[in-house]
Amino acid sequence: MKGYHDIAGDGGSNVLQQVLELEGRITANLAQVRHLVAVGSGKGGVGKSTLTFHLAALCRAAGWEVALLDADLNGPSQARLAGVAGTVPLPAADGRLALPRARGGFGVFSLGSLVPETEAVEFETVSRGASHTWRATREFTLLSEVLERAEWGRLDALFVDLPPGAERVVQFADLLGPRASFVLISIPSELARGVVTRSIAALRSAGRPIAGTVENMHGYACSGCHSVQPLFRTGSESRSEGGAALGDVPVLGTVPFDPELARLCDAGIPVTERPDLPSYGALQATARVLMGLFEEERPR
Amino acid sequence: MKFLCVPCDQPMKLAEVAPPDRGSLSVRYACPECGYEMAMLTNPFETQMVQSLGVRIGPEANPPGGPDSLAAAAAGIVPSGAAEEAKSSGGKCPFAGMIPGLSESAKDGAAAGTNGAATAPVPWTDAATARLESIPSFVRPMARTGIEQFARERGYPAVDEKVLDEARDFFGM
Repeated sequence: MKGYHDIAGDGGSNVLQQVLELEGRITANLAQVRHLVAVGSGKGGVGKSTLTFHLAALCRAAGWEVALLDADLNGPSQARLAGVAGTVPLPAADGRLALPRARGGFGVFSLGSLVPETEAVEFETVSRGASHTWRATREFTLLSEVLERAEWGRLDALFVDLPPGAERVVQFADLLGPRASFVLISIPSELARGVVTRSIAALRSAGRPIAGTVENMHGYACSGCHSVQPLFRTGSESRSEGGAALGDVPVLGTVPFDPELARLCDAGIPVTERPDLPSYGALQATARVLMGLFEEERPR
Repeated sequence: MKFLCVPCDQPMKLAEVAPPDRGSLSVRYACPECGYEMAMLTNPFETQMVQSLGVRIGPEANPPGGPDSLAAAAAGIVPSGAAEEAKSSGGKCPFAGMIPGLSESAKDGAAAGTNGAATAPVPWTDAATARLESIPSFVRPMARTGIEQFARERGYPAVDEKVLDEARDFFGM
């Protein structure tokens, strides 16, 4: 009797082939994207989205063509950061999806453009009460559709803002393919560093390249005395001005907690418009390191 | 998933996808050798899993948009490519409940915007419709709503490709 592998196709819909063809179309649509930069952490609340947006804006200001994909479908925040909440992507002439643009002129896809902040992101379903069995698959399918159809064009870098979850970074590595390099965001607490270390281990075991880490909230930028004061007082913040490395992964930069930057984020304004902020220099230095790293060679 | 006719030792071929019924699909297979037929009846969980993959369900011979594909679309099996959910019978936007101002009829699959004169439907040319159908299905209803509002505010009698381009420029895309 024939076995599964003795039979070509599935005699009908050829579901596996359809999935493989989608992967091929994604590769083709990203052909003119030089670098896929996936920004994650593993830990929630460390400032992944904030840093992703402002690093993209600074790279754009420095001359790179960039775009941003908000892969966090359950907590999409790039639409607000980019000031495009409520601005729906539109069909372009070539059948692709034209993206709303942030101030600074780069395209952003975020579910926050489509779903108001007052609403949860929910998918229509024919099965009730079992979303844990299919939701993750549906989310990755949606992201695949965006990767395949968005009008990315010729880019130096496509930044991808990942959701939290140490092991989930590997799922996104699989979605984005072998070209993606990872930037991991941490903060100077042992709790966060532990989770980020776990993300590094997960990516390493999957053989995925890690560009480096960025230590966010590395001190507190005081607007009163115009200095950076300790915020956590323990961990890497007190050990190193330049941020403590996690194993042999290089530190690309450190960024202080800046209340004024948080205000810009709420208003959809990139830090490029406020070079006077204490966080601006730190973010710009980090963006330059990142650009230099990708210009030199692909991170390992 | 593949099906084998054991007496013939031949793979069975998908013959038909019946219209969905309460989240269940009836998929008929036939043996090309002996003609024996069998049906795979999915439960809603299985249907949803396939729907989540974004694939078409139907015989290989049927191109996207063919009758069987449309039958699957009505069950939400074709989120990409084959049919416009907001137009096909029973199809829905996955986020329909979240679109501000979207009427109940629009949520139930009719074209968006039937809430009085301010949201009167605006006809679309075939070319504009084709462009709309080329973008991911989950964006279409909201893009349709936004473009129709754009056209209505400017007094355009229909949405054509020129209106799409103008809307894109207006929104800085």
